[in-house]
Amino acid sequence: MFQKVIGYLALAGLALSGYIIFLWVPTESSQGYVQKIMYIHLPGVWITFVAFFITFLGSIGYLWKRQEKYDILALASAEIGVVFCTIGLVTGSIWGKPTWNTYWTWDARLTTTLILLLIFIGYLLLRKFVDPGEQQARFSAVVGIIGFLDVPLIHQSVSWWRTLHQTSTMFSRKPSSVVDPNIAMTVWISLAAMTLVFIWLLLKRLKIENEQRAFFRQVANMS
Amino acid sequence: MIPSTVTLLAKDLKLDLRSLENFISMLFFGVIILLIFAFALPIEDDSHEKLAPGLYWVVFLLSGILNLNKLFQIEKENGCMDAVLLAPIPRGSIFLGKMLENIIFITAMQVIMIPLFSLFFFEGLMVHFFELLGLSVFTAIGFSSLGTLLGGLTTDVRFKEILLPILLFPLLVPLLLASVILLQSLVGGNGLFAEADWLKLLIGFDLIYLVVSYLVFDIVMEI
Repeated sequence: MFQKVIGYLALAGLALSGYIIFLWVPTESSQGYVQKIMYIHLPGVWITFVAFFITFLGSIGYLWKRQEKYDILALASAEIGVVFCTIGLVTGSIWGKPTWNTYWTWDARLTTTLILLLIFIGYLLLRKFVDPGEQQARFSAVVGIIGFLDVPLIHQSVSWWRTLHQTSTMFSRKPSSVVDPNIAMTVWISLAAMTLVFIWLLLKRLKIENEQRAFFRQVANMS
Repeated sequence: MIPSTVTLLAKDLKLDLRSLENFISMLFFGVIILLIFAFALPIEDDSHEKLAPGLYWVVFLLSGILNLNKLFQIEKENGCMDAVLLAPIPRGSIFLGKMLENIIFITAMQVIMIPLFSLFFFEGLMVHFFELLGLSVFTAIGFSSLGTLLGGLTTDVRFKEILLPILLFPLLVPLLLASVILLQSLVGGNGLFAEADWLKLLIGFDLIYLVVSYLVFDIVMEI
């Protein structure tokens, strides 16, 4: 029930953000039409970090409480995180071509996101290669934790290495970063919509994983 | 804890010294990678000066991973892992023993690799032999801490030869960047302390992952 409500809310949110992105919000003056990709790019990256943070919390929760539900949460969140991370990187690339005149650059946040993607693809591969069970949950929790702990270090090292990205406009409180209120509102609405999509996907994935495990347990008991 | 660590370390070193299989295969693998690079890259000396700092660590990582893959092999082949785990010693000393073995291995290998590297690729390295050896030890600490943890984790996993580098290398990015830049500064004649920030990052990485891996190793080795 709850999941259905979230699903319809997410759908409505996407429709609303689609409407205001393409029909309502004024086109940004310096970048023009291409800037609209930000309304997908920014929520994508935002969800990525939320998702991997949830994986981190789920991993800690599993090692602490040793309950399967935390492991399932970590798995579900990591899978969705990898999808959104890819979306963030691809949209960023498409946005980068007209504005930075290159599809890819070794900028700090770009590189950090890429490495994060690689770490969590490794995490999912590890889950594939270990047989399901207590050991799988334990091993993946370890990798989920050390992988997430590495992010600040990676970010610090890569930003010393070289950087080009605009500084975070949405979350900085500096007076210089004046954002058009319409654009800011559009960003917030698309963020909210994408977050609803994320919650819906997460609930769905949790349900599938729970049912699948219950099914396998039943099969194992029968034989 | 210290006596049991020393006992385990002595056991591993004795076994390794007796056969030398691991060491020799690691060393030759390193030399072969070096030769491949020497053939694949342009021959001019000035380009070698730019490439040497990066290549040195590529050879370091690729040959180092061989030993990590083999780290728990002896115990596994003879079913000794259970015996070691049952012994009334802290799990941490198993970790420390293996980690120190790996550091000693890598350091011994670099003692031979640095002259060979300067012979085949870039003469300038031999001038800084001791500084570079010290730097290699610090890189080896971070590399071995994470490597021992993940090597232990992947011992029983299918496709572990490929999974270990997939998990390990993205996590090592900060360490690798720091080591490359410090070596660049060394080759450029500025010494290690010209890049104090990177030196701090390198040591910080070592400490963080030494402690984290030490603590988490318990969880990996649960039965």
